[in-house]
Amino acid sequence: MASVAELKAAIDVALQQIGDGQSAVQAAGEKLAEAQQTLAGALEGSGHETVEAAQASLTQASQELEECLAATLVAVEQAQLYVAAL
Amino acid sequence: MSIVEDIGAQVRAAAEELPLGLVSQALEKFGLASERLRWVRQESANPMGVPELSAATEHAETAGYALRLAQEQLAAYLAAIGLGVGGEPPARAPRPEPRHDAPREAAPVVVPAEPAEQVRMRRWWSVRVAELTGGPEGADEPDERISDSTELLRRVVRGVRAGDRDRLRTELRRAHADVGLGLAALAPPLLRDLATDLLRHPPRAEDLDRLRGALGGPVRDLLPGLPAPVLETLLTRVCRMPPPRRSGEPPHAADSAVAGGVLTGVLLARLGRDLPPDLGPAAGGTAGAGADRAGGDRPGAGRPGDGSPAARAGRAGTTGPRDSTATAGRPAAPDPARAATGGPPAGVPRPGPWTGAPHRVSRRGGDG
Repeated sequence: MASVAELKAAIDVALQQIGDGQSAVQAAGEKLAEAQQTLAGALEGSGHETVEAAQASLTQASQELEECLAATLVAVEQAQLYVAAL
Repeated sequence: MSIVEDIGAQVRAAAEELPLGLVSQALEKFGLASERLRWVRQESANPMGVPELSAATEHAETAGYALRLAQEQLAAYLAAIGLGVGGEPPARAPRPEPRHDAPREAAPVVVPAEPAEQVRMRRWWSVRVAELTGGPEGADEPDERISDSTELLRRVVRGVRAGDRDRLRTELRRAHADVGLGLAALAPPLLRDLATDLLRHPPRAEDLDRLRGALGGPVRDLLPGLPAPVLETLLTRVCRMPPPRRSGEPPHAADSAVAGGVLTGVLLARLGRDLPPDLGPAAGGTAGAGADRAGGDRPGAGRPGDGSPAARAGRAGTTGPRDSTATAGRPAAPDPARAATGGPPAGVPRPGPWTGAPHRVSRRGGDG
C-alpha cells in the first residue's frame, strides 16, 4: 500500500510534468506571436480570403494556448492544495 | 528576388516556424501528468486538478489543429499567388461548383442534371439537417438572406420556441453550410451563460444531470436523429467537464452546430427570453467560425467570489485578450494573471474576424 510520502512524490512528479508542459506552451505562444507579427507585416493589405482565414486560425491557436495555460494553472493549484492537505 | 518572391519567402518561413513541435511537446507532458494524477486519485473524490488538466489538453490539441490549419491556408495562399511548391498554382480540375455549400459570393453556375448521389454529396449540410430533424430530403435551395450565423441562430431560436420541427428544419436547410457550421462557434458561450441563468450559478459537474433532464427531452423532440453523444458532449462542455469518451464513428460535422443552435433555443425558451438584439454578426465562413468558436467556449465562468473549482477555472480562463473578443473591439485590459503566467505577449495582432465576435447574453463584461 502506498504511503503519503509516495503519494506526494507522485503528485510532485506530475506537477513537474505540468510545469514542463507550461513552459512549452509559453514558448509556443511566444513563437506564435512572432509568426503572427511577421505575417501581419508581410501580408498587410492582402484581402485574400485564405490570408484572413490563416490569420484567424493563428489567433485561435494563440487563444487556445492562453486558455490551456490558464487551465493548467488551476490544475496546479488544485494539486498543490491536495498535497498541502495530505 | 522579386517582391512577390520575398513575400512568399517570409510567409513560407513563418508557416514553417509555427510551434507545432512545442505544442506536441506540451501535449505529451500533460498526458503524462494526467496519467499520473489519475493513478494517484483513483480512490479519491478530490479531482486534484485532473479535469482542468483535461481541459488544458483539449485546448492544446485545438491549438495544434489551428496551427496545422493555418499552415495549410498559408500554403494555399502561396499557391494562389503562384508560389506553390512547384512554383505554380495547382491546376483546378473543372467541376461544377457546389451551390448549397459554396461561398455565397460565388457567381451562379449553370450545372447539368446530376445523379442523386452527387446531389446528396453536394448538399451534405442540407442532407444532414434532414437526418437530424427526422424529415424528408427536399430540394430547397440556399436562402441568401441568411447571410451569417447570427441570423440563422435567430431563426433557429424562433423555430424552437414555436416547437415547430418542420420550420426548424426548413430554416436550417436553407442556410449555406458555412453559415450553419458557424452555429458551433456562436452557441457555446451563449449556452454557458444561459445555463448559468437557468441554474442561478455557473454550471458545474454536479449540474450535468439536472441540465440533461431539463434540456435533453426538448432537444431530442426537435432533433430525433441526433446521436446521443453529441448532446452529451455539449452539456459536459457547458459544465466544464471533460467530454465523454468517444466510441464508434466520429460525429458528423453538422451535428454539433445544429445541436448547439437548438440547445440555445431550448434554453432561451426555458428562460422565456429571446436572443439579445445586439448579438454581433457572426462570421459565416470557416475562418469566422473558427474565430468565433475560439472566442466563445472557454473554461470556467465562475463569478467573482465563487470559490468553486469551476469558478477558479473561470477566472483563470478569462486571461488576456480573449476578454476583448466579447467587448467587440475594446482593447483588453492588462491582466495581471496573464502577465504572471508569462503567456503570449500582449500586442499580438488580432485580425479582423474578431471584431465581429458575438456579444454575450449575460451581464458579464468578459466572455470567460
